[in-house]
Amino acid sequence: MRQARADEYARFAAARAGHLYRSACLLTAGDTHLAEDLVQEALGRIYVRWGRVCLVGNPAAYAQTVLVRVFLTHRRRRSSSERATDVLPEVAAAGVDTPLRLTLLAALARLPAKDRAVVVLRYWEDRSIEETAEVLNASAAAVRTRSTRALKQLRGLLGEDVGAYARP
Amino acid sequence: MPADQHHDPFEERLTAALHETGGGFETDRTALAARGAVRGRRKRLVRRAAVAGGAASVVIACVGGVLVLRPGGTAAEAVPASVTASAQPKPSVTATPATGAQMIATLKGLLPKGDFSEERGRGTEPTDQLKVPAPYAGLVLDDGKGAAAIEVSVGRVQPGGTEARQAAQCPDRVYVPYDACKTSRLTDGSVVTVLQRYEYPDRRVDTKLWTAELVTPTGQHITVSEWNAAAEKDRPVTRTDPPLSPARLTRLAAAKEWRPVANALPEPLPDPALPGSDLHARTHLLALLPKGLRVTDKSSDDGDFAYAVVDDGKGRSLVQVNVQPDMLDSAGDLFGSGSETLPDGTRIAVKQGPGDRGHQVMWTVDTMRADGRRVVISAFNAGTQNESATRATPALSIAQMRKMALDALWWSGS
Repeated sequence: MRQARADEYARFAAARAGHLYRSACLLTAGDTHLAEDLVQEALGRIYVRWGRVCLVGNPAAYAQTVLVRVFLTHRRRRSSSERATDVLPEVAAAGVDTPLRLTLLAALARLPAKDRAVVVLRYWEDRSIEETAEVLNASAAAVRTRSTRALKQLRGLLGEDVGAYARP
Repeated sequence: MPADQHHDPFEERLTAALHETGGGFETDRTALAARGAVRGRRKRLVRRAAVAGGAASVVIACVGGVLVLRPGGTAAEAVPASVTASAQPKPSVTATPATGAQMIATLKGLLPKGDFSEERGRGTEPTDQLKVPAPYAGLVLDDGKGAAAIEVSVGRVQPGGTEARQAAQCPDRVYVPYDACKTSRLTDGSVVTVLQRYEYPDRRVDTKLWTAELVTPTGQHITVSEWNAAAEKDRPVTRTDPPLSPARLTRLAAAKEWRPVANALPEPLPDPALPGSDLHARTHLLALLPKGLRVTDKSSDDGDFAYAVVDDGKGRSLVQVNVQPDMLDSAGDLFGSGSETLPDGTRIAVKQGPGDRGHQVMWTVDTMRADGRRVVISAFNAGTQNESATRATPALSIAQMRKMALDALWWSGS
């Protein structure tokens, strides 16, 4: 019945909201307010298309794609250039700000938005180069370039032994 | 670590660090999910249409040609919760939490005599699967003249908000064909809209769907839906009309029994701000239409989407426009080979083909300025997307559509 589809969406949104939020927190380098806004926007877009979304093979991956695109669109609205920021956005008040978290978020904040999206998709979402390229509407070669550049920059910022921060 | 990557210890450590950091972010997922749904409903309500064939565009390729302009019969979706509000529902009026069984019993008590079957319901309490309460009751009523599905949903909307306003409006006939629609105000100030439409807008099956949507001055939102079949879809029509007359449907929606149930729900969220809500597509569309065309119908709201039905004396033609401030991300999908780029960087793509349903001619001129501002205009050779062609080609030429789309007027005042 009519209600069934609404329920299905509600269950999907409730099940995915947490993960989408965590992804958004990484994409925004710890700006939790913006992260909430991005997730709401992504879920809103999915809501509108739910009739079709629920038919695709992997709605969860689709939601992630929408989130990343919403994030990049938002970035563009704020500034027309892809300029990395030196200012660390407000980091979540909740939770413990471990050295690892602070350092990693500060490093992510220094990456251009699209590079950050590549890092999040590749290493948090575990997407392949090709999948990442599809999400970003970019070529595989462009994603490889961004990925290499981002890794180099992160290596410089975090040091070779990232994990050391996790074991203070 | 991605499987296609050669082994690199740094990448492994980065993966672990991302997981540890990302996993540390927690939020009220229920509230977040509910807010997403609110935003989605709002998007649907502003009548965002799928104009272009740009399927890759996440924003506009929403509901194909079948626009659902109002959440008819989906009131239970409209039950958002927020972090702050969900903790303290306002106890200003009687609030009576209900179980699913109580919802069903209430519905049965308000219906005419008959055989009830396929009863189902949900109460005001959140469940493990559904953290945001969405009470409803549904059943199949057989009054001796044919089994019919009936469903009641109870929710809350922001008084005076977009949803409340939309519930008190008949939908645009251009997108939702219906037999009758009437909005009336009851003595207690509630507004009720009774809509007699079809389950399938193209009427490939003649299942009728009649709904009464009622919003009280305090935002209680009751929707009753009934069909002339035992289910919304995939069950044969059992009778000419659904069992409850529009008057009876109104009485059922207005029944005092539902009000305390609505009061037991969390307070609704205020309308979220939506990008593009400061645009005036309707005003500008009407201003930019070529002279000599008679406008026989037009969208009722301003915003980032608008339509007009025009007639040049040779038959009606639907013209619709989407104005989107920030679509650079989709540029690659929308403007492929064969598209044109003006010296100022504006890209233009023209598409002349069948409409979403295949039986109409749909011409589209899609334009995007270098900064991502997009105007896409489509014109059809029929007055709505649900009817047969009224003419061979749309009433506007591609050149006229192009001139309109490139006009700077769309962006004035935004």
